[in-house]
Amino acid sequence: MRTSLLVLFGATTLTFTKAQLNFSLSTDSSVSVPLRLDSQDSISALRFYISNVRIEHERKIVWSAEQEHYLIDFNQDHLQSNNISGQEGSDLKEGVLKFVLGVDDNTSAQGIGEGPLDPIRGMYWTWQSGYINFKLEGVSNQCRTRKNKFQLHLGGFQKPYRTAQNIELKISGEQKTVVFNLKKLMSTINLKEDHTIMSPNEKAVFFMESAKSCFYVQ
Amino acid sequence: MYSRRVLLFFVLFFLVAFAVKTGNPNPPSYLPTPYYSLPVSPETNDTVALGRLLFYDNILSGNNQVSCASCHNSYNAFAHTDHQLSHGIFDSIGTRNAPALFNLAWKKDFMWDGATHHIDAQALAPLHDPKEMGSSMEELLSKLRSSSFYREEFFNTYQDSLINSRRVLQALAAFELSIISFDSKYDSVKEGVADFTHQEVSGYKLFDQHCSKCHTEPLFTNGEFMDNNLPVDSSLDDKGRFLVSKQKEDRYKFKVPSLRNLSYTYPYMHDGRFAKLHDVLDHYASDEQNGCDRKNDLEKPIVLSFNERADLIAFLLTLNDDRFVFNPTYSFPEKLKNKLLED
Ligand code: HEC
Ligand code: HEC
Repeated sequence: MRTSLLVLFGATTLTFTKAQLNFSLSTDSSVSVPLRLDSQDSISALRFYISNVRIEHERKIVWSAEQEHYLIDFNQDHLQSNNISGQEGSDLKEGVLKFVLGVDDNTSAQGIGEGPLDPIRGMYWTWQSGYINFKLEGVSNQCRTRKNKFQLHLGGFQKPYRTAQNIELKISGEQKTVVFNLKKLMSTINLKEDHTIMSPNEKAVFFMESAKSCFYVQ
Repeated sequence: MYSRRVLLFFVLFFLVAFAVKTGNPNPPSYLPTPYYSLPVSPETNDTVALGRLLFYDNILSGNNQVSCASCHNSYNAFAHTDHQLSHGIFDSIGTRNAPALFNLAWKKDFMWDGATHHIDAQALAPLHDPKEMGSSMEELLSKLRSSSFYREEFFNTYQDSLINSRRVLQALAAFELSIISFDSKYDSVKEGVADFTHQEVSGYKLFDQHCSKCHTEPLFTNGEFMDNNLPVDSSLDDKGRFLVSKQKEDRYKFKVPSLRNLSYTYPYMHDGRFAKLHDVLDHYASDEQNGCDRKNDLEKPIVLSFNERADLIAFLLTLNDDRFVFNPTYSFPEKLKNKLLED
């Protein structure tokens, strides 16, 4: 059973699809230590922002997404909003896909945005201001918390806890998919200890850096 | 005879014009550049007017009984007197004293610990706090959308009927940014149209010597987070700026508050622990331990003689801006009364 999230990439459009999405993590024995998820463990929310999505070739932008920000929400109700389209591009043989994982610091430093950045999306802290760049919530019996819940709300745009990550992935014409490897991310999280992150801190930066390394193209 | 009447007309005209002007003075030239631009012609600005309605409307709270003004009263320079700690929905008691609201355009960040970095985002905090307004933006938007009064107000303001978070927040911010207070005796002296008394002059000198490092003119705050050595209240153990920055050296630091309008903004300090200015001066004079041996930003106790205290307080009172406090453009809007009658 796959626990990766697929981002389909075509010549002119990027599409995040639900295709291979599976929110419940299986008792996959290959899931690595320290995370041993058994069949009761599940993920109830996985959402993150991506900003400034573009493809560059020889330092020129050859394709860019329509919107500046997208809220990628792997929730059954919101799958449609995960499509990302951009301007028509010429045939692309190779390039570098670049985006910011999270809301870029400049936008965060401004006030409140609309559309994907509307605070009613549940990705804005209210008691402290700033966007939650990445939200991962679920239940694991490793967590000695109320109802065994874990809640990782990763964000922060001010020093010393800047969490948005610049991501660059080499792509070539045949490559159709950008994959977010959730399994890999989970393997970096020790849910026994790191079950609750609700504000910018060192751990938030650490897990955002981990998340950065979980994207690859296929 | 005729010309006299014309003269009288002009005199009256200028009196009225002057009254309006002093009601909302343009910021004087000796101020630094604000972080936010001030709303243009606030008296007639639709966004400001909409923000004022929202600020005073109980619809913002979960039980329709608490408004922003419940804790930020215009007659107290938008602070909350009598309550050390804020008092919200279902009589919940918060953990901090509601600060006065004025000259917000000159603030880099908001709250005692700077948890909010932008004025547009600020209102989300009280709106969602279960102890303050106990509501949410979603709930508020649905109430506003189903109110014909607000549908009309939003239409008049924005020329279309969209009601969303950004518009609500920006309207509130516009009203808050319009709240400015630079019409105190101190300001008149600065502008060269009034003089300090001898006592005030001597108080000014003491202020300059002991207080201005943190309560810096002309805003009477340096906008920084500082530790003025308040003993820790163990029932709250509020670590202030540390809660936001997580930096050890920020423990027990709080945003330096402005000293303008002190006669209206009691009780004082982030937890409202002092009811009177004399209590505040007692604190600055004492060498009591702060309870955790921390290094603080006061070099040494500020010990003043009886007369010096009186002088310092006389100077602090010149920072009161009565015209601001009683400015009708900031108080409960008539329009809302009509709405409440209709509801
Ligand atoms: C229950 C009382 C309460 C209500 C209701 C309330 N506030 Fe406040 N307000 C406070 C307290 C307490 C603080 C200080 C909070 C802190 O430092 O953590 C505060 C801080 C603020 C600040 C920051 C001021 C500064 O100088 O840093 C602003 C602006 C503000 N409130 C505006 C509003 C608005 C707008 C509303 C309505 C949407 C509102 N408040 C509703 C109690 C309240
Ligand atoms: C080292 C910096 C510093 C110095 C010097 C200083 N203050 Fe303060 N003052 C602060 C800080 C910080 C606060 C807020 C503390 C808190 O609430 O925890 C404060 C709060 C106050 C308040 C409460 C205002 C309110 O609205 O709650 C008053 C009044 C005050 N100071 C007066 C003075 C006077 C008068 C002097 C000079 C005798 C002075 N301060 C010197 C830093 C300073």
